[in-house]
Amino acid sequence: MPVLTIEEKNQLKLERLQSTLNRAFKNVPFHRKRLGIYNLMPDDIVSLKELEKLPLMKRAHLGDHYPYGLFAVPLRDIVRIHTAPGTGANPSISGYTRADLMIWQKLVARSLEAAGVTSMDILQINLPPGLANWGRDYKDGAEAMGAGVIPNSPLSLAKTVMVLRDYKTTALVTTSAFAEQLTEYMFDNEINPNELNLKRIVLVGEPVPESKIECLRDHLHVDVWLNYGLSEIPGPAIAFECGCGGMHINDDHILPEIIDPVTLETLPPGQKGELVLTTLSARAFPLIRFRTGDMARFIAKPCECGSPLIKMEWLPGRSDDMMVISGIKISHSQVKAYLKDALGVERPDCTMEKRRYGGTEFLSIALVIDESLFSDEIKNLERLMIHTGESLAEQIGVAVKITLTEKYQSFPDN
Amino acid sequence: MLRIKNLKCSYGSIMAVQGVSFSVKQGELISIIGANGSGKSTLLLAISGLLTTWEGEIIFEGKNLKGMSPPDIVKKGICMVPEGRQIFSPLSVVDNLMMGAYTMYRKGKKKEAAQDIDMIMDMFPILRERAHQLAGTLSGGEQQMLAVGRALMSRPRLMVLDEPSMGLAPKMVEMIFGIIQKLRKDGVTILLVEQNARAALKISDRGYVLETGKIVLQGSAGELLVDDDVKRAYLGRDYGDFYDGRR
Repeated sequence: MPVLTIEEKNQLKLERLQSTLNRAFKNVPFHRKRLGIYNLMPDDIVSLKELEKLPLMKRAHLGDHYPYGLFAVPLRDIVRIHTAPGTGANPSISGYTRADLMIWQKLVARSLEAAGVTSMDILQINLPPGLANWGRDYKDGAEAMGAGVIPNSPLSLAKTVMVLRDYKTTALVTTSAFAEQLTEYMFDNEINPNELNLKRIVLVGEPVPESKIECLRDHLHVDVWLNYGLSEIPGPAIAFECGCGGMHINDDHILPEIIDPVTLETLPPGQKGELVLTTLSARAFPLIRFRTGDMARFIAKPCECGSPLIKMEWLPGRSDDMMVISGIKISHSQVKAYLKDALGVERPDCTMEKRRYGGTEFLSIALVIDESLFSDEIKNLERLMIHTGESLAEQIGVAVKITLTEKYQSFPDN
Repeated sequence: MLRIKNLKCSYGSIMAVQGVSFSVKQGELISIIGANGSGKSTLLLAISGLLTTWEGEIIFEGKNLKGMSPPDIVKKGICMVPEGRQIFSPLSVVDNLMMGAYTMYRKGKKKEAAQDIDMIMDMFPILRERAHQLAGTLSGGEQQMLAVGRALMSRPRLMVLDEPSMGLAPKMVEMIFGIIQKLRKDGVTILLVEQNARAALKISDRGYVLETGKIVLQGSAGELLVDDDVKRAYLGRDYGDFYDGRR
């Protein structure tokens, strides 16, 4: 972004915030009603600080207003529609105007540039189906900066490695789960990392511990960069690493806050809490104080790289009931609601866990069998569980394995 | 250069501008576009000190303009070319230009003022031809040139133009906008308020869309020119129902 003084930057953010509120209030009944409940009008927000007067948005609101209830432009202005699993019976639908996509291109390009990607790079994208929308955004952003792009496409691990090697890929956008899987595959199959031209990996989807990053650096001889985004809305690269520690948030387009997830009060810089985001330039799908469920803290110290963008540390853990598998957020309550409908069990009693098999992460569900499920034909039960697991996987975008148990048990190995 | 925050302007109980924030940086050409009655002219009246009953902040080069009189604001470096030109019809072209330099005459800078008149006549040769003609007898386009020239006589750092294309033939509009572009190249920062959105955005760096006293959109001129909402509302495209064509 152009170099702005703090005053200029705050003015820019205030202008964008106020016009976002005006548009949302004018065009989206949900936002108008909520402001009305708090007896607020958009022009009551006279400073960035006063944003905290506004009510918070939750993921559940996206499903409640399925499909287009939160759009702020006529449908004919929408040029792309994304679907994410959501948290309840309905998926979350988000839309983008042409202008929105142009902004995302810029933001993605900004994050890739910070990771050292240039027009001389060949950038390969490998993301699971649940993050396919990010795949498109990274493709657009990388193409906009002139890089050669190998778009996201479902390939076997062997084929992916072949493309990485033969196409001389220099930058890879993927999840930490896949990067680990790739490393294991290469070492198991005696493929020397020196055979690749890979120089950098951009990891997306979840915070990655330093130990894992070190491991990838050592094994694949690459620089590793972390990007933060939301898989439902509004896209990837909301925050990115610059190499100085912490992540820059694109706060000229997305205004961040940190709140206490219990009291919901805004926390001062430096304190750990839940990240809340407000879009400043989104036309189609404005979010106002959206609770991400992700934990973070602001870093107040100015960054050595000179960027005026706010910095945060992305922390492990969540403030909601969601788990992250291969970068995709899975809601416990949504899985339970699905099992209830699919199996006809009134209150599915189950435990869920992220597990890994053959390098692939999946959702493992241990479902307590009850009378309504019980069948003396074990094969029928097995078939039912496989079928339910497959259709659930289609809905949430990650592999699912359901095992039956008489009561809660610890998970068996594998 | 100019930073406006939460500006509210009322005429009695009617609030014409409802919490508007925008900014103009040194050297920029910024457009504010909007329909009739959206509050555009009211904004400019507040900036130029002609409207005093406003709330909020108007900061020009670090100084709040609250309470300043129009002449003081001109001295600070802001000069407005008003809607409808508002030239002095019974006076000659030269006299009109001299009126624009009253701040310089008061400082005894007659020589500089004379040089400026010469410079403006170089810029608008038609005004030299009509130098001693009564301003009221000029064509609409010529009057607009005179209004711009008169504003330039105060050597503004920020020139504020209110609907300069109003009532002019398309060719004349093109000419006036060409002049505005030239002024900007010469270093004058420009705030342009226009209903002719396409012409204004084509020459602007950035723009703001004002609707019933509120800014509902802002962005680079390029972004606004391709924006579907702006196209429908201000660039002559049809405006249908919310779900029009997609159901």
